[in-house]
Amino acid sequence: MSDASYADRAVMNFPRRDAQDKITGRTRYTTDVGGSEVIHAALLRSEVASARIVRLNVEPARRMPGVRAIATHADAPGLYGIGIADHPLLARDVIRYHGEPIVALAADTLDQARAALALIELELAPLPAVPTMAAALAKDAPLVHPDWKSYAVLAEGSVREGNIAWEATVARGDTDAAFNRPDVTIVEGCYQVGRQSHVPFEPRAAVVSFEDGRFHVHTSTQVPWTVRSVTATVLGVPESQVRVTVPAVGGGFGLKFDASIEPCAAVLARMSGRSVSIINSRREEQMTCLSRENAEIRIRSAVTQEGEIVGREATVLMDCGAYGGEQVFLTSMTAHTLGGNYRLGSARISSRAVYTNTPPNGAFRACNGVYNTFALERHTDEIADAIGMDRLEFRRRNVLGDKDLGATGQVFEGDVLGPMIDRMETLRSKSGDREALADGRLYGRATTVGTWFIFVGLSAATVNLNSDGSATLVTTGVEIGQGTMMQALPQIVAASLGIPPEQVIVKSADTDAAGRDLGVGGGRTTVSIGAASAAACEEVKDKLLDVAAEMLQTDRAQLVLANGRVEIAGRPGTGTTIQQVIAEVESRTGPVSGNGAFTAPGTATALPGCVAGHFLEAIDLPVFAVHDCELAVDPDTGQVEILAYRVVQDVGRALNPRAIHGQIQGGVAQGLGYALHEEITINGNGAFDQEGFETYHLPLAADVIPVEFDLYEGAPSCGPLGTKGAGEVPILNVGATVACAVANATGRKVSALPLTPPRVMALIDDRQPELHHDHISPVWAENTLRSA
Amino acid sequence: MSVTLTVNGEERTFDGDLRLPLADMLRDQLRLTGTKTVCREGFCGACTVHVDGEPMVSCLIPMGTLAGRSVVTIEGVAGGGAQMNAVQRTLLEHDVVQCGMCFPGMVMTLSACLEKNHAPTREALKAELSGNICRCTGYERILDAVLSISGQEGAVK
Amino acid sequence: MDITTGSTFLSPDTIQQAVSVLRDLDGAGVPLAGATWISRAATRCETPPGTYVSLAGIASLHEIHIDARQVSIGSLATHAGIAEALTGCKDLQALAMAAGMSATPAIRRVATIGGNICTTAFAPADLVPPLLVLDAEVEIQGSGGTAILPVAEFMSQRRDRAPSDLVCRIIIPRPARRSAHARLTLRKAGEYPVAHVSIAVATDALDRIAEAAIAVGSVEATARRWPALEAAIVGLAPDPAEMKQVAVAHLKDFTGRDAVDAPGWYRERVLPGLVARAFQALADSEGGAS
Repeated sequence: MSDASYADRAVMNFPRRDAQDKITGRTRYTTDVGGSEVIHAALLRSEVASARIVRLNVEPARRMPGVRAIATHADAPGLYGIGIADHPLLARDVIRYHGEPIVALAADTLDQARAALALIELELAPLPAVPTMAAALAKDAPLVHPDWKSYAVLAEGSVREGNIAWEATVARGDTDAAFNRPDVTIVEGCYQVGRQSHVPFEPRAAVVSFEDGRFHVHTSTQVPWTVRSVTATVLGVPESQVRVTVPAVGGGFGLKFDASIEPCAAVLARMSGRSVSIINSRREEQMTCLSRENAEIRIRSAVTQEGEIVGREATVLMDCGAYGGEQVFLTSMTAHTLGGNYRLGSARISSRAVYTNTPPNGAFRACNGVYNTFALERHTDEIADAIGMDRLEFRRRNVLGDKDLGATGQVFEGDVLGPMIDRMETLRSKSGDREALADGRLYGRATTVGTWFIFVGLSAATVNLNSDGSATLVTTGVEIGQGTMMQALPQIVAASLGIPPEQVIVKSADTDAAGRDLGVGGGRTTVSIGAASAAACEEVKDKLLDVAAEMLQTDRAQLVLANGRVEIAGRPGTGTTIQQVIAEVESRTGPVSGNGAFTAPGTATALPGCVAGHFLEAIDLPVFAVHDCELAVDPDTGQVEILAYRVVQDVGRALNPRAIHGQIQGGVAQGLGYALHEEITINGNGAFDQEGFETYHLPLAADVIPVEFDLYEGAPSCGPLGTKGAGEVPILNVGATVACAVANATGRKVSALPLTPPRVMALIDDRQPELHHDHISPVWAENTLRSA
Repeated sequence: MSVTLTVNGEERTFDGDLRLPLADMLRDQLRLTGTKTVCREGFCGACTVHVDGEPMVSCLIPMGTLAGRSVVTIEGVAGGGAQMNAVQRTLLEHDVVQCGMCFPGMVMTLSACLEKNHAPTREALKAELSGNICRCTGYERILDAVLSISGQEGAVK
Repeated sequence: MDITTGSTFLSPDTIQQAVSVLRDLDGAGVPLAGATWISRAATRCETPPGTYVSLAGIASLHEIHIDARQVSIGSLATHAGIAEALTGCKDLQALAMAAGMSATPAIRRVATIGGNICTTAFAPADLVPPLLVLDAEVEIQGSGGTAILPVAEFMSQRRDRAPSDLVCRIIIPRPARRSAHARLTLRKAGEYPVAHVSIAVATDALDRIAEAAIAVGSVEATARRWPALEAAIVGLAPDPAEMKQVAVAHLKDFTGRDAVDAPGWYRERVLPGLVARAFQALADSEGGAS
């Protein structure tokens, strides 16, 4: 069987089977589980950013009507984290952020739970707070974690000190020599971004029961196995005592790529003997969101007149908030994004995750790739302007191509970005420009490029063939709205087994049923879970074809699975039905199933000695993007209207083009929110000013336009059928492209996001001095704990 | 004190606290969980129902104001059972839905909108949707689906 | 009306009943109109009021009467209802536009004019600037009887009123004039205004401004008129670009409030452009729809 026919069968706009229930309101999300079976939990959360707990007395709450269980730190004492185990479930003796949970309480109704919490006696002694990264890095700054040395480090190669939770560095080649060359222009820039809140419409929620001595956590999550291990860790029980199941999830975008409130419900479930529901209120969701972090960037480059980048140095400060979380891991991604896109003669990059007394941050669709791409592309436009070269031409000359070295010295395969820029030019000329629509306002346009990665890693799949010829796919993949569980995966399995995709049953996630999986997000579902599923199908195919060859007295090499049959290749209708083969196999050796596993191929490697403190030294599966934007800026109000938005996306192979269209339209909309509308400011109390939708501005229907797009296929990929995950990367370049277009329209330096109307107005009016980070040294080596 | 109203064509009596928002009565008491509570401030539209035929946000309607009124939820907008109305069918055919949390509210707003105006422009639809937020889809495919059936006779049935 | 002790929800049938009940509750109860503000008490981290006194059952409060001499709008009239009723009343377009653009379509169907002008902690109230330029009056009924005040006076003393004083009607005279409204949000829609401007203008035979009323809202804590600009544009043609220039010269009359959505300087900065937009809307309505 040729790959071409397998691909032909797999590629289709297979409609999603969960659509009808969602459209008719029948889908039961975690937040819809209720009724009299369930009692309700609420959390007492800190209203200050930094304090010592002097006294905590929960007894007055215990006597309140309907109260069934109360938990404090002592009931769930374990620390968890990614990279560093620094995070308690409930505050023990110190509060580190506004909104940190201190007490978990369950009562018959939510109103009763909240009324009881109000009676808890909590006495706090204020402690000094570090509200910003500048304050955290200042000499003699108070330590957010005075005991930082005592924490278990969950990964090797860490460099940490004081308020620096983690540091990842790259040093390749001799940047000092590069910057000292007489034939270079040196361009330097400072950039700054605020946080972005995911706002999946279903908030974080879980319903937990203690059944037969085990915790059953039913939760709205992207990472069932992480919830399992974190729950076990904080509660101090073996992981095997925790089962996690996941129904339809009402959006994630990365917010649910970590455990959060599930273990609170777990401890209350065990105490009360009841099923406990916990749901973050909108205010809690907004104010304790595991946001895309705020960051500060300093970058400088040495460039020849011909546009060769001979040296690049950068420092990025990433705000962890009060606990390290995802930012510890994400320090690894700076090199591949801020240090990405272009050929660099030499590079030094320092990426520091910094503790502050603010709500902890987390992962959000393309993470720090989004702001690193913003900074890099702004910097790139400034470089082009400084040497007098056309901005797109500069990119053409420098984008990574076949055999080029990345920042960490990995060797890239294939010419991808170059041809993608060509495709963007074609797309632009097809639709023409929209300058006339600016109608008297300031018109601007920009084209940017971006590099991200597919988060490959552990996935497992089992395929059970049923006697009726259908197949059950068992994984812990979760459907968060991106469609992969409903479309790409059944398409892959169906194509492998030669059955219609409607005949592929996709089991919802259950850690008791499937093998370990890193989770859904980072574009990994299609690639990692898809690869594991394809591998499981291969095992099933082997079993079937071995027996079928015997049944049909035909050479196995001539047989294929197609059209619900085992047929001779190229001769449809021959052979026999798959049901008959299944029956024969079952009679000989029992029910037919196959298992598949996948992990990071590890084919990409960094140059030895370049990289320190990295979880990911090289990216096995890069994914590229080219975005283009035309916009108009109203000089009376600072409002920005998008006139055209175009995307060329590196998809490897488009398994379900219609679904990818949906991801691109949605991802760009989210990116427009990041670029123009969504702002989080933190007040003197360490709390977000934006508590809900009145002040946190999500793009509305009138704020978006149809995105024009072209799916670029054929780039090298280890994914099944050559696919790359398509759901994450649409957001990567939007901040960058809009920022560059606004800079083009206004003739001003754009150094910060979001570009809300007041900020654009301030730019146009030259109200503010140029952005400068006093706390990031212009001497690169001073921004790293390691000696240069 | 109690209040009697119609929900999806059935008479219901509510005798709890009349300050309770309609959304909570629907979800918790009647277990009609299709209506979603997301922002509870009236900005997102996920809790949209029809009250006497008009789309309103049920998170901000106290039960006490609903005496004698008729409420229709997503579960009843197409007459109940497994039926779908034209808006729902076109959204299905165009395979637009992603996470699904905003869709009940979208359907309620769009259904009423098309009843009033059989051939809205894209711009008019966007204005009508200023109180229905979607975080996943970026809206335009929803509009494509609805515009594909607009201008047709009896569009919403 | 059935009043049970400890009742959390009361539905009076007449204004007098409502006044009487609110007086007896003495602050423990609040009048309920569209309920959009009160229903968000938890979101504002406030304890919800003990008793809602719903005014929805009082028929006269919903009535809108339009004749050549004046318009009377019951306090329970909704934004959507007002926008629709005033279609075609060229002189009252400031109010029609403001009511038709506020918040979101669903909120406009339930939010009322009474609630809009009575909510004291609500700086961006959409309907106040139009009422200021249209010389509207507010009729209040309370324990002390009936009073009619100009809107500006009502706005300045509404916090001092007894909890049982009810706004019942808004009365708007109809001299010869045209009006319009311009509203600025950060996104295209779906928000409270960062700043908004209403204008009401009477022109002479040469189409020059004979009399003008301009009101600015959301820039400061309470909306108010812009007398210096009103005086400065008398005698000029109502040309948007020229109006904008004159407005720039009088910007110091306002001190913008800092709030989470926007800083004060920005609210001032956008005013001239908004004035121009309002005058453009006036010009557009002249050429187009009735």
